[in-house]
Amino acid sequence: MSNDSPTALSNPPSLPDRYSRQTIFPGIGVEGQRRLMQSHVTLCGCGALGTVLASSLARAGVGHLRIIDRDFLELHNLQRQVLFDENDVNEGLPKAEAAARKLEAINSTIHVEPVVTDIDHTNIIELAQDADLILDGTDNFETRYLINDVAVKLGKPWVYGGCIGSHGQVMNIVPGQTPCLRCVVESAPPPGMAPTCETAGILGPTVNIIASLQAAEALKILTGHFDAIVRELIMIDIWDGTFKKLKIAGLLDTVDCPTCKKRNFEWLDGKLGSHTTSLCGRNAVQIAHRSSERLSFETLEKQLSPLGPVTYNRFMLKFDVDGYQFTVFPDGRAIIKGTNDVNKARTLYAQYIGH
Amino acid sequence: MAVKVLIPTPLRQYTAGKDTVEASGATVNEVLKDLGTQYAGITERMLDGAKIRRFVNVYVNDEDIRYLQNLETAVKDGDEVSIIPAVAGG
Repeated sequence: MSNDSPTALSNPPSLPDRYSRQTIFPGIGVEGQRRLMQSHVTLCGCGALGTVLASSLARAGVGHLRIIDRDFLELHNLQRQVLFDENDVNEGLPKAEAAARKLEAINSTIHVEPVVTDIDHTNIIELAQDADLILDGTDNFETRYLINDVAVKLGKPWVYGGCIGSHGQVMNIVPGQTPCLRCVVESAPPPGMAPTCETAGILGPTVNIIASLQAAEALKILTGHFDAIVRELIMIDIWDGTFKKLKIAGLLDTVDCPTCKKRNFEWLDGKLGSHTTSLCGRNAVQIAHRSSERLSFETLEKQLSPLGPVTYNRFMLKFDVDGYQFTVFPDGRAIIKGTNDVNKARTLYAQYIGH
Repeated sequence: MAVKVLIPTPLRQYTAGKDTVEASGATVNEVLKDLGTQYAGITERMLDGAKIRRFVNVYVNDEDIRYLQNLETAVKDGDEVSIIPAVAGG
């Protein structure tokens, strides 16, 4: 930077300049950069992993970045979700929207498409079908199995990342070439059998490392360097100071996988997975009640304001009652804070929002 | 046969916080049995009856036992058995 003249800084950076430090790297080069700029990525989830992924790919010049997230910002997100700040929290922005604003300021030459929605079997094909790569920034296995189904069905690569506490894992899934998620993890841990962000916590550095490893794999895939991708399950623990690569390639021939061998797409077909989920570490439940009509917050505010404080903007309505905090979105989806009990949340939804 | 067993964070409550313990046996099954004898409660978290739970994977020297001989995979002195649970957060 010290060699940059004031004149150069006052002009919009030309593309080769902007990306010069990565095009000079032999693995990317001018051709790789051209491919990155023409590529479409669907990023599922824009929380801890997702913000690091979004920032890395936007800076690297990925041409079209679709960022999907169902959640809105809260103060406790700032500990590790690197794209957000206190202003975003005070504005009550959805994460996808707040991320898109930041990314626009970081790289105005790419197209960022924020999508505030819950990914489910009814919308994932539409969200993923034009993508060259799907990236996992989610915090639950239900969505990951759905991503796995759609990726295998459409033959698109995706990169799994998961973390808890000081521990994290990364895996590339290239349909037909590597085992899929279900080959490796046959089913999700049932409730109470695995730690959550609430019980085990999560450290910022864990997330940054895992998402950065995912981003590195994304650069290889998008530039066509499939020879360079990691074909093992990467496992790190930043507290123990360990980095391991576990061999999984042999599973491709030995596991009779319902997804990639038998092509039963049980999540995509809506046979598996619920539409109500307890949110990791939040003491909250999401009710993904899909309404054909968009909610009128004005009407809802009138109904609810006698019962407790109500505020709304064009993205969401907030309502507090009996120690529960409702956040309602225009598509009818709600996050109910103050309980982990899915049935209690369903009851509260029925009581205050209705069907 | 004495092997080194790597304990994942969620199961360290059973091993008094230890990340690595020693266990003996000629197969993975015998090693896990010995682990359960030394540390009460740990195998119930990994096994569902006689089978490894579907969200837990076991590796011998970084190879998934499902493409070796599964629980009957032979182990020898100095081998490393890793217990790897699925990680959902993010």
